[in-house]
Amino acid sequence: MRPFPIFLAIAALGLFGVHWLAFVFVPMEVTMGASQRIFYFHLPSAWLCYLGFVVSFVASIGYLLTRKPRWDAAAVAAADVGLMFGVVVLVTGPLWAKAAWGVWWKWEPRLTTMAILFLIFAGYRLLRAFGGESPGVRVFAAVLAVFGAPQIYFVHIAVSRWQGDHPNNVVLETDMRVALYSNLAILLVVFILLLRLAYRVRLDALTVSALRRRLARIGA
Amino acid sequence: MSGGMRGDGMGGLTAPGFLGTVRLVLAKDLRTELRSKELFATLLLFGAVLTFVFAFGFANDPVTNRKALPGALWAALLFTGALAVGRTFAREAEADAFTALVLSPADRSAVLLAKILGNLLLQVTVLALVLPLLAIMLRVDLDGVVGTLSLFLLLGATGFAVVGTPLAVMAVSARFAEVLLPVVVFPLVVPVLIAGVQGTGMVLGTVIGDDPSDYLTLMLAFDAFYAVGGLFLFDRMVSE
Repeated sequence: MRPFPIFLAIAALGLFGVHWLAFVFVPMEVTMGASQRIFYFHLPSAWLCYLGFVVSFVASIGYLLTRKPRWDAAAVAAADVGLMFGVVVLVTGPLWAKAAWGVWWKWEPRLTTMAILFLIFAGYRLLRAFGGESPGVRVFAAVLAVFGAPQIYFVHIAVSRWQGDHPNNVVLETDMRVALYSNLAILLVVFILLLRLAYRVRLDALTVSALRRRLARIGA
Repeated sequence: MSGGMRGDGMGGLTAPGFLGTVRLVLAKDLRTELRSKELFATLLLFGAVLTFVFAFGFANDPVTNRKALPGALWAALLFTGALAVGRTFAREAEADAFTALVLSPADRSAVLLAKILGNLLLQVTVLALVLPLLAIMLRVDLDGVVGTLSLFLLLGATGFAVVGTPLAVMAVSARFAEVLLPVVVFPLVVPVLIAGVQGTGMVLGTVIGDDPSDYLTLMLAFDAFYAVGGLFLFDRMVSE
């Protein structure tokens, strides 16, 4: 059997499972109460957002070195999936913050650096959507991804380096760890599925435009 | 002066070295700009207009104005910088000379360095007008802090130039580039913006802390990182 449907089944069933883990199985956190349960989705999504941008970074370097369209397709697909997980982070974060801090948003180092990281790749995506398909745009976008991804380092060190309020290096009970890492595993499967799909779509789009050009050349 | 310049590059058949190329491209850009003065004049006026926008956009008591000055200053740096950087390769593109510039045997990173220096020079000139104008309009006393503020602005403008200038080649190949360029450049320079606003606020006494050197170091590191990265990658960006 082909791997894609198997992964799809794992992701679909797994998503039910991890919701049960996060909302039923894990005991209520003492100080924060129910709002803490967002954490089991928030943190893995943040990691996968980084992962998407890192893959985009690596694929962009691959494209700059080889100029093979496959690398470019992979870079765009990975940025897309990273952005999707970024949206999850930026939506679940304020939901938790409203409950824990009393405000939706604070100009706190990790929130700020994460928002910037998101904006950099959102700009990358706008460029790919509206900037046309010339080779120059691809190269330029690759450089943008290479310039932008190191920002992840700043997000990572933000809390400890600039004394942020964002929770950092939290100590977890065993049950909580089970929920967190199960969630990470299942969301990683979702990540791989989406990356694969987005990559295929880009490649098919390339094939279609190549066919169009050929048709135009033979005057059909 | 221009005679000497010509002698370096075109007198013999030998190609100019790295610094020679930098000097030639920079001199060419400055000479054309000084003849038309289009970018220069427009940016100066834009800087003045921004000053009015900020002066009327903020409350008008001395305490608020002193707190608002860093933000206004750095927003002006970003907005004027975006206009300047967007025009980096405009003359070459309009005259169909961009390919010639890229295909010439000249070291491409030397071309980029010249373009960075040109943008920086333009920005510094504009800021030299905007800073005193903002201080007058917002009635903020800058006695004794002009030197430190200038250092901050210089490092900030450098940061903007080293990030924005290589990315400005996008304007040559992408459609919609005049809109997209600021959208992609601004988030990248936010670290400089934060360091600049905090640091200048500290210098002006509106941000708590008395040692702004940490922010200067951060900006210096940022400038160096993106300058090296840009010079290294630019060759690959324009090689097709």
